[in-house]
Amino acid sequence: MSTLETLQDILIEEFDLKRDQVTPGAELAALGVDSLDMLELMFKIEDRYKLAIRDDIPTTLTTVNDVVVYIDGLLARQGARGPDPADLHAPT
Amino acid sequence: MRRVAVTGLGVVAPLGACTDDLFTNLTAGRSGIRTLAAEPLRSLRSPIGAPVEFDGSRHFAAAKLRMLDRVSQFALVASARALTDARLDLSAEPRERCGVSVGTGMGGAGTTDEGYHTIYAERSDRVKPYTVLASMTNAAASWIGIDYGICGPNLTYSTACSSSAVAVGEAARSIWSGDVDVMVAGGTEAPLTYGVLRAWEAMRTIATADPHDPSASCRPFAQTRSGLVLGEGAAFLILEEWNRAVARGAHIHAELTGYGLTTDAGHITRPSVEGQAGAMRAALASARLSPGDIDYVNAHGTATLQNDSVETAAIKEVFGERAYRIPVSSTKSMHGHLLGAAGALEFLIAIASLERRVVPPTMHLDIPDPACDLDYVAGGARGGVALRAVMSNSFAFGGTNAVLIAETADPDRRRHGATPR
Repeated sequence: MSTLETLQDILIEEFDLKRDQVTPGAELAALGVDSLDMLELMFKIEDRYKLAIRDDIPTTLTTVNDVVVYIDGLLARQGARGPDPADLHAPT
Repeated sequence: MRRVAVTGLGVVAPLGACTDDLFTNLTAGRSGIRTLAAEPLRSLRSPIGAPVEFDGSRHFAAAKLRMLDRVSQFALVASARALTDARLDLSAEPRERCGVSVGTGMGGAGTTDEGYHTIYAERSDRVKPYTVLASMTNAAASWIGIDYGICGPNLTYSTACSSSAVAVGEAARSIWSGDVDVMVAGGTEAPLTYGVLRAWEAMRTIATADPHDPSASCRPFAQTRSGLVLGEGAAFLILEEWNRAVARGAHIHAELTGYGLTTDAGHITRPSVEGQAGAMRAALASARLSPGDIDYVNAHGTATLQNDSVETAAIKEVFGERAYRIPVSSTKSMHGHLLGAAGALEFLIAIASLERRVVPPTMHLDIPDPACDLDYVAGGARGGVALRAVMSNSFAFGGTNAVLIAETADPDRRRHGATPR
């Protein structure tokens, strides 16, 4: 399953959204996902991908696709060897 | 003189999802107290409680549910039921003339418990982002205000076991004074979590589980009483200025005519006869009633050693010889102690008694304590009673004593309720 599909499933399940709403270009704010919801969303993503995401989530994540790119970036760095301590504590 | 009409009643309670079911179960002497069999609750010294059958996901969408502690879920559902019962559409009301008044002792205790588990037990820093917003004591009241666009006062009272009697009494006072016309008032509590139950257990105030019948573990006024049993749930009332309730053709369950408030200022847990008696006298004075006018007392009756004998003595001090002729019952024997929700729930039950002319019993009162020698309506409900005025007592750790009085809805009552105190 692609990162996009996984993220779409989480959004549909946790935020009461329909599949046709969570297009790659959809803006998270318009979907009712606010800053606290983003933290909740990151917990779900951590669990799903066994990732460790540091506290400061980039404020530039505006669309569904932005989050996909962000997750893929983390996976590229952490995926093969587990969480990188640098990602836990240092700013990206 | 402004008067306060009770036009809506709503509950989420052990023994009932509506006032009718609750009252039917109470008058049948059924107990909602049971063994708490789930892990880790079963490891408690006395694993008993009065839980509510309640699934939040049946009432709230996932995105909202994660922001709501169980205590707020109860409050939102019970207040919605009260508004439905009142047939009141708040969106058509002047928003600043309506308010919310909620009592809770421990607020979102389950969320706090879960957060500490994450930090200390799992040694994780992944505390849920909504922990503060779900656990803050005023969350339930805030959500009611948000859901209905209520822009007048939004207040939360936390005086332990008298919290929601205070919330209802203060709501009535704000209508009497002219500040507001409609109040959504009640109490909510969700204390059946492991951390909270362990804390209560440590204080040695929880009843010993009856080995033969756990549902009979709470025995108010009995010589065999061994403590309280915690329950969960919420109870809400819609209070309205009398004339506007009449003008819109509302069904008026009762008139709230009396509210008395005193503080022991003594021991943090030990109750005082003077403090309790003072609150009952203040409520009578507020309603302009004399002790001879009260037809039923819904007692605080926690089944702790301290409370029941002190409350009995206080009732005797206020009512004199008449104390022996007034039915006094503790419905906590069946629904348990709802802490911050207890006062509103029991006042609601007293109003249901008034409307139905039936006094619910005190159950499991097999052997009376010699110090408790009033008419506790032991073992079975009493019907066909002439009820015009009923009193509900709520006392608390910390010493805040609150007493409420309701009378039958009488359009011509000359006394006209209370003077704002």
